[in-house]
Amino acid sequence: MIDHLIVLLVVLPILGAAVPPLASLRYDRVGWAVATATALGHAAMAGALAWTVWTDGVVRYAVGGFVAPYGIELVADGLTILLVALISAVSLGVLAYGRHAGPHENSFYSQFLLLVAGLSGMTVTGDVFNLYVFLEITGLAAYGLVASGPGARSAVAALKYLIIGTIGASLYLLGVGYALAATGTLNMADLSDKLAAAGYDSTLVLTAFGLIVAGLLVKVALFPIHTWQPDAYADSPDSVSAFISALVSTVSAYALARVLFSVFTVDFLEAVPIARQALVAVACVSIVAGSALAVAQSDVQRMLAYSSVSQFGLVIAGFAIATPLAVVGATVHLVGHAVMKGGLFAATGIIERKTGATTVGGYAGIAGRAPAATGAFTLLALAMVGVPPAVGFMGKWYIVLGAVNAGSWPVVAVLLASTLLTLAYFARLAERLYFAEATIAPEAVAADGGERVSTAMIVTVVVAAVLAVGLAAAVPVIDQLIDMTVFELMLQ
Amino acid sequence: MTDVTSLRPLFAVLVSAVAIPVILSLRSRPNVREGVTLTVAATKFALVASMVPGVLSGTTYVTRIGELGDGISLVLRADPLGILFALLASLLWIVTSFYSIGYMRGLSEHAQTRYFASFAASLASAVGVAFGANLVTLFVFYELLTVSTYPLVTHDETDEARAAGRKYLTYTFGGGVAVLGGTALVYVLTGTTAFTPGGIEALAGADPTLARVAFGLLAGGFGVKAALMPVHSWLPDAMVAPTPVSGLLHAVAVVKSGIFGIARVVLDVFGTETMAELGVAAPLAVVAAITLLTASVIALRQDNLKRRLAYSTISQLSYIVLGLALLEGEALVGGLLHIPAHAFMKLTLFFCAGAIHVETHTDDISDMAGIGDRMPLTMAAFAVAAAGMAGIPLIAGFVSKWYIVIGALEGGGLVFAGALLVSGVLNIAYFWPIVYQAYFESPDGHDKKPLVTAALGGRGSPRADGGHEAATHAGADETAAHGDDHEAATHEGHDDHHGGPPAGGWDVRGWRGAESTWFMLGPILTAASLSVLLGVVPRTAVFLRIIETVVGSLPGVMG
Repeated sequence: MIDHLIVLLVVLPILGAAVPPLASLRYDRVGWAVATATALGHAAMAGALAWTVWTDGVVRYAVGGFVAPYGIELVADGLTILLVALISAVSLGVLAYGRHAGPHENSFYSQFLLLVAGLSGMTVTGDVFNLYVFLEITGLAAYGLVASGPGARSAVAALKYLIIGTIGASLYLLGVGYALAATGTLNMADLSDKLAAAGYDSTLVLTAFGLIVAGLLVKVALFPIHTWQPDAYADSPDSVSAFISALVSTVSAYALARVLFSVFTVDFLEAVPIARQALVAVACVSIVAGSALAVAQSDVQRMLAYSSVSQFGLVIAGFAIATPLAVVGATVHLVGHAVMKGGLFAATGIIERKTGATTVGGYAGIAGRAPAATGAFTLLALAMVGVPPAVGFMGKWYIVLGAVNAGSWPVVAVLLASTLLTLAYFARLAERLYFAEATIAPEAVAADGGERVSTAMIVTVVVAAVLAVGLAAAVPVIDQLIDMTVFELMLQ
Repeated sequence: MTDVTSLRPLFAVLVSAVAIPVILSLRSRPNVREGVTLTVAATKFALVASMVPGVLSGTTYVTRIGELGDGISLVLRADPLGILFALLASLLWIVTSFYSIGYMRGLSEHAQTRYFASFAASLASAVGVAFGANLVTLFVFYELLTVSTYPLVTHDETDEARAAGRKYLTYTFGGGVAVLGGTALVYVLTGTTAFTPGGIEALAGADPTLARVAFGLLAGGFGVKAALMPVHSWLPDAMVAPTPVSGLLHAVAVVKSGIFGIARVVLDVFGTETMAELGVAAPLAVVAAITLLTASVIALRQDNLKRRLAYSTISQLSYIVLGLALLEGEALVGGLLHIPAHAFMKLTLFFCAGAIHVETHTDDISDMAGIGDRMPLTMAAFAVAAAGMAGIPLIAGFVSKWYIVIGALEGGGLVFAGALLVSGVLNIAYFWPIVYQAYFESPDGHDKKPLVTAALGGRGSPRADGGHEAATHAGADETAAHGDDHEAATHEGHDDHHGGPPAGGWDVRGWRGAESTWFMLGPILTAASLSVLLGVVPRTAVFLRIIETVVGSLPGVMG
């Protein structure tokens, strides 16, 4: 059993996903219970796996007994267990939030569990083709979840997401094809040797790199290939926004890091400096453009979506700088952003239910009507801006140190400016929440009943806010986890 | 110097942080709420004061909070320089808390709970800034100070207040970003950010260009809160905040945290020798000298009393920076001594402006002729503090300026000594008319004061800055414009009265305190007495002794 933990992390949610449709024959609303039971099981296994890796080091598992490089290999190292733990924690948080917030259909929870399975699979796999499979599972489940919102807007958003997401996945698959042609293998560890043997200047290898990275960047949603994201986040149900904003891009960025450091390795980045420079440049442009677009939004959820475009620019910049400090920083920001952004989306859901406000203008003067949610929202926003000692600051500090070490001054400038850019779109919200006259009369909401909000929803948001500060204390642990990861990084 | 592990620095920070939720929960019981504020303020002061004897005898108290990763070690350390700032901030918080009660209740202000909670948060951050033992810890509290003072700047919730708040956040976070960059650079260059008296050694041997950039970023970043020109303009705008905020935060805690940051950078990060080698001190001194002269001239143009005080603050803060940048023993002493000296005097002045506002709703100097009849004690305190600002002996400002001027002359900085003296004359030019007209003129018979009204650049129609610009109050009667700005909306009892003397001239209230409540007069007189005390017996008043300990512990600097 304990040996199979790693594969069960994927299998269990898939099995769980099959239950709600079957149960629908007899029962209407068992989806939540099934999903919660499965997520708890997933969390327990994630904990056990984390403990194993923490004490015994990297775990490798050959699926079906077919040894690598011929069979599919699953690998759990330091970074894997961090991401797996994040997936478990966010799933449980979203379930607590979604119990009241909905959607309540059984089919919704099926897709939810499929998404958990896909994300877990992307995290633990050690095989580039297998990564594609899980990328598609993740994508399909996410398209379905986005479409689960009421009304045509959700459907349109999902369609857009589907088209662009599929293009991304196809680019990735094409890249994997080139890599296979160059090396004859799909196993990550094996690829890293054989790519070096094939020569980093070989056209096949270069094309493979370009396609794989471009495909994953679509999924991460960096500027200018972010266009699926605002619709997908803003037009889906709040539980879904919180879930996919916290995890889908996050795990894609993780996959990119995996490809960079476990497949192509830093030797490739050294040998082909243009690859690294291009990645840094895209990341920096994304930081600035994402913030500029966020400032231009009037809808709060769309603003948060563009904020992700900007924040993932920071993460990718950290990975592209590729020194140990920068990679630790990128990882801290990756995890921190997941918690903060998920919490922010969840908070917007509560605020909308309590006050009817969804736009920047509508947020004026409503702090008193949803004190816990607006308080948490403000705290999370400040953490995202990078006010110390919150986790948003810690990640930035490491990435900046890495960039200073590497002597990439323009990047340092953009990274530092990102604080002000983030402030530009969050400060006006905080200002309106607390220091402006309300534009939405309380009666307007009371008239149509003002949807109720459960305690669990509020607790979820408050926990996210507390974690946004508390996770700062976990940074030394993340530092150690990166040491336990199968990465080859730049020397300082 | 011996390090003693102690929780006292941590408690001194936490005591007011813990009070925040308590204050917030006492929304419906204002008397208990203010009781909590006063108790916490007293406790904080006692905690800080209890460390003073030890610090004077060479002990430093250290609390290690933890290592949060590479380069981020949170350590609090009560050394002489830190104690100087912490003692000042916590002492004046007590005085200001009393005054706040009188002021906020006198105006029946809204959101008083938020106000007192933010105040407690600001003081926790300020003491954190004081005790931060390395650049990172200092930066953490420096940013928290920005966040916790923002609600106070925006307190009025008017468009003007919100605009001031936005400007405040943009400027100070911009400065914060520069500090972060400088800190990262120092860490990469030297592998540490811990404050070391005399400077971090490795910095002397580092790449001089990068070291200069690091200094520029740090001094520029802290310079925002220290209101060095050209990044000073948030400060006059922030005067839209309630007067106790302008007093304690924008003359003591916030601006002095910027000054304090520069002091740390000069004394404990780069050290005077390295700074001299890098040649970065002279540009800083020039910026400070230009700021102190320009701000004094601009102060002459302000008709709104608080804005005039704000420009005076900008000018006086640069005295401190100049003292530090001269790198001479005497100048350092003078600069550091001007931190408490300016705090006491400027707090008095702001408190007076606030008392006048609460009692008579008068904000503009041109309406204050003869106000000495109405508020004799207040204006007497104002006169004392204003004289101190100008450097008249027996008041705190004289002692600190004396040291700076001596230091400037010893170091051959004749120009800087000249700038200081000229600025002293300008101080008299913008403060004396206020005092003179208060006592020796009447509302009906007063001459025009030498307000510099020519438009900058010499074009356009002449007008005074500040107060109420024609653009914002188009067509409004000069005097009528401001009284309504925010008060009339919140307390309607006064909307028949728009500031300035009532019809028939000021009442005569006598010298026994009938002019206001003792909640306001008490703090005013206390602050004024403190500035006299510091001027007459600076050593007995502890501050000069602390400063001599600071400067005495620096290698290569004559105490």
